[in-house]
Amino acid sequence: MTLLLQQLLNGLIIGSTYAVVALGFSLVFTVARVINFAHPDIFMVGMFAGLLAGAHISQNFIVVLVAGALGAAAVGYGLERVVLRPLRSRDVLMTLMGTLGVAIMLQNGMAALMSPDPVAYPRVVPNVAFGTGDISISSLQVVNFGLSVVMLAAASFYVRRTRYGRATRAIAERPDVAAAFGVDVNRVSQITVVLASGMAGVAAVSVGLLYGSAWAFVGLLYGLKSFVCMLVAGNRYFDGVMLVALTLGVLEALVTGYFSSSLRDAVAFFVLIVVLYFRPDGLFGSYAV
Amino acid sequence: MLSFAFWEPVAIFTLLNVILVTGLYVTALSGQLSLATAAIAGIGAYAAAVLTTNFNWPFVPAVAVAVVSGAIVGAGIATVTVKMRDFILKLTTLAFGEAVSVIAFNIEYIGGANSFTGIPLYTNLKVVLIATIIALYVAWRFDGSRLGLAARAVRDDPLAAAATGVSVRASRTLTFALGSALIGGGGAIQAHYVLTLNPQELGFFNSLTYIIFLLFGGMHVLWGPVLGAIILTAIPELIRFASQYRLILYGLVIVVVVLFRPEGLLTRTPTGAGRRRLARLLRLGRALPTPGAVDERAGADRVDAPR
Repeated sequence: MTLLLQQLLNGLIIGSTYAVVALGFSLVFTVARVINFAHPDIFMVGMFAGLLAGAHISQNFIVVLVAGALGAAAVGYGLERVVLRPLRSRDVLMTLMGTLGVAIMLQNGMAALMSPDPVAYPRVVPNVAFGTGDISISSLQVVNFGLSVVMLAAASFYVRRTRYGRATRAIAERPDVAAAFGVDVNRVSQITVVLASGMAGVAAVSVGLLYGSAWAFVGLLYGLKSFVCMLVAGNRYFDGVMLVALTLGVLEALVTGYFSSSLRDAVAFFVLIVVLYFRPDGLFGSYAV
Repeated sequence: MLSFAFWEPVAIFTLLNVILVTGLYVTALSGQLSLATAAIAGIGAYAAAVLTTNFNWPFVPAVAVAVVSGAIVGAGIATVTVKMRDFILKLTTLAFGEAVSVIAFNIEYIGGANSFTGIPLYTNLKVVLIATIIALYVAWRFDGSRLGLAARAVRDDPLAAAATGVSVRASRTLTFALGSALIGGGGAIQAHYVLTLNPQELGFFNSLTYIIFLLFGGMHVLWGPVLGAIILTAIPELIRFASQYRLILYGLVIVVVVLFRPEGLLTRTPTGAGRRRLARLLRLGRALPTPGAVDERAGADRVDAPR
């Protein structure tokens, strides 16, 4: 019973990070129509931006967090201008190859710049363990989960209630009609990519703090899973993507707890095959691509 | 630096990639961009490796079995995916590749997570060269045959192809089976050079490498993917002295090609456009009429109006 509760808790916390990355991934896919394989590596850049700020500027938590968000958002801005915008109306695989090229450059560039091995993260938040009985949770996990929930709520509010959020959904439905009604597709796409990148940057800093290290190749772990979350949920409802990501985190934690950690990474693909067989457009439906 | 010991492995790996990407080219000829190349190559490799290692079969029959098993797997995938939309087809082949990887991971008989080891070394430069020539010859003959033209028709417009009497199902199944046969054989030959098989190498990222070769070189001419495979395999090896930066350069080359040559390095010059350009160059005054010349560039299936 304690194992179950503990793994549920761990799964929710891991899942909340998946949710932030997967949400950014599917926002960019929906608006810019590009499978952005560089998104997980923007996450990685945010992680290192936070690390550098913590090491050279200030040990203040807020400073590190803002540095992570700004670093990731800056890369997102550049990516949108140089690669995503020219590729918008191209074949899906061509865009995928372009962003994959960027991902390879970011990963190996960071490995050459910093180190190909994991680098220790500055301890800007004290690590305190809370617990009742056999279940324990650390202050770092609380920070990670709290930040993720705040960002998911903010993103949900943004998409539903703001002017640009409405434009986002309009573009997702029919880019040509949205443009005809005066939506500036380039501008909305740019804002979406920058916001999604900034969100990934914040999540990356909290993950770096949680595991105590930053790694140039950390994006590989998150990339394929975000992609799977988006496909399983379908990109019509962003809340669905969050829900699937949280569920995936919990499922993986349960598989790790009860079976073995070697099967953990297969869970996502098993779910993908089953769901795509019965619902090719995802659980909650997709926009036509 | 360019001693035989240095460039022999580079040449072998380059030619192996040429065989595999040729298989992918044939598969894609009827419009099916498979993301399961590494998995099909892996199935062929495991089949041949089990025969040579555990049953002491000679090399050539084992490769033949790999070719046949590749064809069977390819035909099987095609049967399932023949009616699927393009995007879903890609996803299904992706999921198939990952599933094969997970299954191989959990079969103890073929080594499971610990890799399949002890495969005898049969492959050398001569073997790979002969195999490459055979693969290219098969693909080249298929490319120009009626069946190859039928496959292109199916790729460009399945409905119109069906209306002119081409069976979409047969064409897609045939190209997938033939392409997978080449891939299976290539995988088997590769296994007898690398000498170990790791289930993780059957997954999505390795399959993506071949897609990159294909799109990089240009998927509308046979020599496109061949050139793509040669350049993208050889470049990282030849600039090994700059080891830290070679993958950055690799990424940069891909991005630059995607941005500036979106149809890949080699393209089939549309005859109409080529003739018009020539005419303009020679100042013939009036361009030659090119009734019904179809622009073959991806996403531009329009008919050029005579000017």
